[in-house]
Amino acid sequence: MSATQRRLACVVTAFALAAIPPLFGPYYTNLFLTFAIFSVFSVSLNLLLGYTGLFSFGHAMFFGTGAYATALALKHVSGLPLLAAVGIGVAAAALLALVLCPIVVRVSGTAFAMLHLAFSQMMYVLALKLHNITGGEDGIGNFPIPALTIPGVGSVPMKDEPANFYYFAIALLALSLWLMWFFTRTPLGQVQLAIRENARRTDYLGFRVAQTKAVIYVFAAANAGVAGSLYGLFHDLVSADGALGALVSFAPIINIMIGGIGTFLGPVLGTAIFELIEELASRYTEHVELVIGLLLVVVIMYAPMGVLGVARMLRQKWRRDAPAAGALQKTS
Amino acid sequence: MNPTTSMYVAQGLHGLAYGMILFLIASGLNVIFGMMGVLNLAHASFFMLSAYLGYQVVALTGNFWLALLLAPLGSALVGVAMERFLLRRVHAFGHMGELILTVGVGSIVLAAVKSIWGTESLQLKMPAILSGRVTIAGLDYPVYRLFIIGLALLILAVMTLLLYRTRLGKIVRAAVSDAGMVNALGINIPLVFMLVFGVGVWMAGIAGVAIAPILTVFPGLADQVGMDAFIVVVTGGFGSLAGAFIVSLIFGLLSSYGVQFMSELAPVLIVAFMAIVLAIRPHGLLGARDS
Repeated sequence: MSATQRRLACVVTAFALAAIPPLFGPYYTNLFLTFAIFSVFSVSLNLLLGYTGLFSFGHAMFFGTGAYATALALKHVSGLPLLAAVGIGVAAAALLALVLCPIVVRVSGTAFAMLHLAFSQMMYVLALKLHNITGGEDGIGNFPIPALTIPGVGSVPMKDEPANFYYFAIALLALSLWLMWFFTRTPLGQVQLAIRENARRTDYLGFRVAQTKAVIYVFAAANAGVAGSLYGLFHDLVSADGALGALVSFAPIINIMIGGIGTFLGPVLGTAIFELIEELASRYTEHVELVIGLLLVVVIMYAPMGVLGVARMLRQKWRRDAPAAGALQKTS
Repeated sequence: MNPTTSMYVAQGLHGLAYGMILFLIASGLNVIFGMMGVLNLAHASFFMLSAYLGYQVVALTGNFWLALLLAPLGSALVGVAMERFLLRRVHAFGHMGELILTVGVGSIVLAAVKSIWGTESLQLKMPAILSGRVTIAGLDYPVYRLFIIGLALLILAVMTLLLYRTRLGKIVRAAVSDAGMVNALGINIPLVFMLVFGVGVWMAGIAGVAIAPILTVFPGLADQVGMDAFIVVVTGGFGSLAGAFIVSLIFGLLSSYGVQFMSELAPVLIVAFMAIVLAIRPHGLLGARDS
């Protein structure tokens, strides 16, 4: 895709995003915002999983930390500006990652995955047990949502204004998505790929593997914090099950697997497909777990590279087939 | 007999019994991981499935011993089927695929359990012969806890004998260190894998039926106990049975004394212990460097 084409695509996407609330009404706008939030969350996990080869079963703890920090800040600090509240959520998620990274960058593979499962489980248990801070099972609800105030320009109310909040959230999510895309294009992003392919050789080449991993880890956590913080504001309710539960950790993994691991937009596509299936499943059946479980098994068995992976394979096959249709049959 | 000492002893016994249960689950996980490199995230679901099957057998026949015999075999059968028809086919896609697949199967088992037995807690009655208390040297012990400890030690002994005193055990140990080589020597490794997977799930199944009378049988069982078992494997070191044994006992004791002295934060205590161990030894207490 050329630069002009890409710019054109951005403009078209921006107009399409802006047109959603007036065209589709509040129900589908909210559905789309949920999709957008989980897209950013999934892409942030894919930075670790697809780009760095770090498999985390506990990405929900950054999502949840972002959500809880924003909710707690708004509940206890009166007159806190909206952007500052989101900033606190993001900073809290990044801080948690910073605290954990001395431990987690030393391990990889299954140990990394299990450590994250354990840490996020600990966060979940803490959120349930520390009633006087987190509200226990009820979570934190009905915290004030301030208006977005830009000095010298004016102020936009957010409380009970779904369209306003949609624009605010979409802008931040797009920014986060763009930052992550930009990150993968930087030299640091290339080192990230090198670590995925062969950490030891990267080390021999003189790159600091542990430190690079730590930077990526904190960056991914911060972006998960953006998604979590906006999720909390969106629902005006943060609960342990909704923001820290094991399902919240598994959802982005499923999205990445469905969409296509290691592609930047694969997780976004996967989120769209998964949200659609979940929406339909919960409308027609009570056995959502069964549907999700079957989906995972089928995807892994028959399309381990995800939808984008299958599409790419078909395209390559078609291209190779086009000039000499008979040539491929011998090899395949 | 002063009450403080008897409290310590009672809690210690609870801890040991729970630690033994954890070890039964964790050792199955560990052997499967050590041999096949597969972290079976559905392991705890099979443990739960066995508890439900045990409940069903007791509800139908009223015989606990029959449940202890049949239910683990039933869930081992489901486990072997998963290994043969699903897991073996995704082996080529690496650990990611296996982890996701086992999560998927765990999710399906959970859905099946919920739709067959419902979501409420079910009570499995312990047999009358084990429900009393016994007095040894002036101290009171609940018989059932002793039974669990004895059962686990018995299985541990049998497994150790199998692993270190038989030809099959030798093959398994050889396959742990280099499966490809053993395969090349003309031993049917996929069959051995299937067998080991079945035995691992069977041990988790024994734990499921054994713990059911103490805890109740409910759909959250897999999450609650399974998480502890995973933590044991991670902390003890992947593939290390001795590490799993030590950590299981420490965890059992930590959780029972933790509940006694600081009930709210007992689960945190366990995870904190894990974090400290892993911060010092990233591959677990007795884990090998390349796991």
